[in-house]
Amino acid sequence: ATFGLYFPRKEYSENVYIDQPAGTPLLRIHALRDSHGEAAHFQLCQNLIVSRARSHENHWFQIREKTGLLYLSKSLDREDFNMLSVGNWMPLSKVMLYVFLSSHPFQEKECDSATRTTVFLSLINATAPACSTLTARQLCFMEMDLSFHIKENKPPGTFHQLQLPSVHHLCQNLSISYKLLAAEGMPFRYNENTTGVSVTQRLDREERERYELIAKCTVREGFREMQVEVPFLVNVLDEDDSPPFLPNGTDTADAVVEFNRKEGTVLATLTVYDADTTPIYPLESSRKKYTGTIITDDPWISETFRVEHIFDEIHFSPNGSQVRGTQHEYKLVLNKSISVTEHRSFQLDVLVNDTEFHGPERSVMLHFNVSILPVSIQFPNMTYQFTVNRNAERFAQIGKICIENCMKFRGVNITYKLLSPNVSCYPVSILQGREGKWGSLYVNDSSVLRRPECKEIQYTIQATDKQSRKHTKTLLTIVLEGTLLKKEEDCPDSCAVSKHRAECEECGGLGVLTGRCQWRQGSGKGITTNYSTCTPSIKTCPDGTCDAIESKDPAVCPQDCTSGNIIGGHGKGTGNLGIKSGHGICYCFPRQNCYCEKDDIKEQLCDEVCKTVI
Amino acid sequence: LAGPPSPPGQDPHGWRVPVDCVRANELCAVEPSCSSRYRTLRQCLAGRDRNTMLANKECQAALEVLQESPLYDCRCKRGMKKELQCLQIYWSIHLGLTEGEEFYEASPYEPVTSRLSDIFRLASIFSGMDPATNSKSNHCLDAAKACNLNDNCKRLRSGYISTCSKEISATEHCSRRKCHKALRQFFDRVPSEYTYRLLFCSCKDQACAERRRQTIVPSCSYEDKEKPNCLDLRNTCRTDHLCRSRLADFHTNCQASFQSLTSCPGDNYQACLGSYAGLIGFDMTPNYVDASTTSITISPWCSCKGSGNMEEECEKFLRDFTENPCLRKALPHPPPHPAPSSRGAAPHKHLLPPGNAIQAFGNGTDVNLSP
Repeated sequence: ATFGLYFPRKEYSENVYIDQPAGTPLLRIHALRDSHGEAAHFQLCQNLIVSRARSHENHWFQIREKTGLLYLSKSLDREDFNMLSVGNWMPLSKVMLYVFLSSHPFQEKECDSATRTTVFLSLINATAPACSTLTARQLCFMEMDLSFHIKENKPPGTFHQLQLPSVHHLCQNLSISYKLLAAEGMPFRYNENTTGVSVTQRLDREERERYELIAKCTVREGFREMQVEVPFLVNVLDEDDSPPFLPNGTDTADAVVEFNRKEGTVLATLTVYDADTTPIYPLESSRKKYTGTIITDDPWISETFRVEHIFDEIHFSPNGSQVRGTQHEYKLVLNKSISVTEHRSFQLDVLVNDTEFHGPERSVMLHFNVSILPVSIQFPNMTYQFTVNRNAERFAQIGKICIENCMKFRGVNITYKLLSPNVSCYPVSILQGREGKWGSLYVNDSSVLRRPECKEIQYTIQATDKQSRKHTKTLLTIVLEGTLLKKEEDCPDSCAVSKHRAECEECGGLGVLTGRCQWRQGSGKGITTNYSTCTPSIKTCPDGTCDAIESKDPAVCPQDCTSGNIIGGHGKGTGNLGIKSGHGICYCFPRQNCYCEKDDIKEQLCDEVCKTVI
Repeated sequence: LAGPPSPPGQDPHGWRVPVDCVRANELCAVEPSCSSRYRTLRQCLAGRDRNTMLANKECQAALEVLQESPLYDCRCKRGMKKELQCLQIYWSIHLGLTEGEEFYEASPYEPVTSRLSDIFRLASIFSGMDPATNSKSNHCLDAAKACNLNDNCKRLRSGYISTCSKEISATEHCSRRKCHKALRQFFDRVPSEYTYRLLFCSCKDQACAERRRQTIVPSCSYEDKEKPNCLDLRNTCRTDHLCRSRLADFHTNCQASFQSLTSCPGDNYQACLGSYAGLIGFDMTPNYVDASTTSITISPWCSCKGSGNMEEECEKFLRDFTENPCLRKALPHPPPHPAPSSRGAAPHKHLLPPGNAIQAFGNGTDVNLSP
């Protein structure tokens, strides 16, 4: 895309004082060419923009069409000043002018050329200062930084004039001279007669994108001499003049689908580099600029896979200076979950295209060697056997059931079911664990455990894959053991209610495995995840997750599942459920509040024996 | 160049005092010619850029009439009733009049005229000590204590802290939207003598500076998984009337100017601090980037990575936060001996600290503008 002529700066600024005479030069604007033989024509728009988008007809400023010199065509008196600063409560009013650029002479006042730059004029509510009152900095340079941008691959040309036309006009008896330092070996030249700075050759951003020079100014007034130095920066603008290339020539990657078959899985990634920059703002246009397309006429492939493109800025150093480039990553992603029965392998090609590069090597082909392996739904070749204590209570967790490699599965939904042979003894049930990977066995009817005729129960477990309906079976034996304990009177039904070790360990509650709750002794250091508490089973509660069985009844493990208030020093768990950390001992009244507090009641030091000694 | 400018409020040539846009809209509604022109203009601006709009005779006529109406110069107040409605009216006119994407936009808010010293007067009452003399105290802790002694401040502070620290799920660390809303309520409804002390307390050690950095619960309100590009973030902010207004206000009041002693526009620290605090709770939320006590760096959560050819503009935008002489980049090292209090007596010009709002607030100094 050709831009034509362009401005090396986005904005210019200068001060305007009351009653400066007509003809006072204000500043010089330059344009750079896109191709040889272009001539620049400058023009102002008809309106000044005063504060807040209020526009006003321009009676005061004009620009020389050929040279770009902006000057006062009519002096601004106090009345003009007041008119131009209406509605502006800032102590300093600014007016804005747009300068337009064209390669042809302007026919009329056009205000819609795309190439324009902004001139800010600060209206200073005073007459022009005397030269003797100005500092060297004010005599030499404007407030704004000397910072320019030059497009790469464009013809050379003059882009700035160091001398300030307004100062030169005002202070003719001062000698002000400039120098450009640190310019040796750089493609810039300073012309002493015109004080113009020009670029002497076509620049290449991929070689160097920033030039930092120093502009030095010397002011002589009789015997006095003052010097000022300011940074002079040139940024090189990028255009798409580099083709994509592959790091180390890698254009192939293996993509294996086995246990992870879930939609959205990234199977493989290939990287493409480009020496050009790619702006991430605005994102959409950059995405369109660099495309990655799956080359296939198989509808199954185009439905099942997609390519995701992300890009990031990288730096490389062509000759010591840092230059920005782009790293494009093309990820092969599953567009839908793949059935466990699917089995095939093929090569999938992705065409990457740098659409704005005009050259033969604008595209590269990436290859993914895709192998989709089937996975078998089967139990490890053994039968499950669990022993359950006869004193276990409802919701006691007995164990986990899991088909082969079930923990590695993603995107495969397995349902576990118990097929019961004799209906009379049926104490346990099964619940799905998270993401349908495993099944959790738990006591569903504790009264069955107490019946003497139930000793050893045989079940068949069936695991079914939801999508393919493939299923497998294995045997499960539940052995009941232990002698029945006498139930304690007035025990709460939840272990979590107990505040002390003694009462905890002599009661049972929902979810206990052996008829008695367990006491977890914490470290007792401030608010900690290792707080003291009474639980049906230390292994599962509190473990920071409210699992499927615990969530069946709030009395099983409020430490993991409570959503009520927690009184005392504590930290809540994820999703505001449970007590992640607590201070001292945490206990709960299910469906009501939990409390975490330091226990100040010391255990009795004296038993019967010690009393008699005293 | 032109000597010290007249402070805002002193009006050299009597412009109209701006009314707020809600009121201006009511005034316009009862006047048939104004209300019909306003409707016309809004239709003109809908989805068109300025130039096509001005090419239309009817639109131009509507604009000329409205330039004389109170709607054209109306402003809004921060935290006013119906603030959003006011800003919607403001931008309904100004969005189409500006040339679209300008680097700095004028603030739709009325200028702040109160001075910093008022806050200090109040602040010292609460702290019960002179902030400049006590070298051992932790100002950020004092500020938190002072806030807890005030019912309103305590309620809204604990409100935003609990909202911003509430974990939603394992993947979603907190609700950013609710956290931002709670923060906005805190900074809009609590008097600034409390909020500024929390936000801009001066620190001599890292623990204090970390407390200062944590004021807005940055893990929820500030940090994010990825850093967007600053221009992208600015664009997001400009699609929202409130965020756009607060950003324009920040640019108006904190834009470094070489024309004044303090580098702040009109030497008004208070206005700059106010517009900084006004950005908190939006996409452009700024914060201290670390807990350093020697240099203060402030930035929104963004970077200039991936700017392409807009890098210059992006860095310029970011520098207004990170290297802004008015907001001030570096805190001086703490003085070796307790500095005398600078309030009460007019400070000597050459003893003035370098202009910077945050530092001035922390030191308890205000700029004396007597010639």
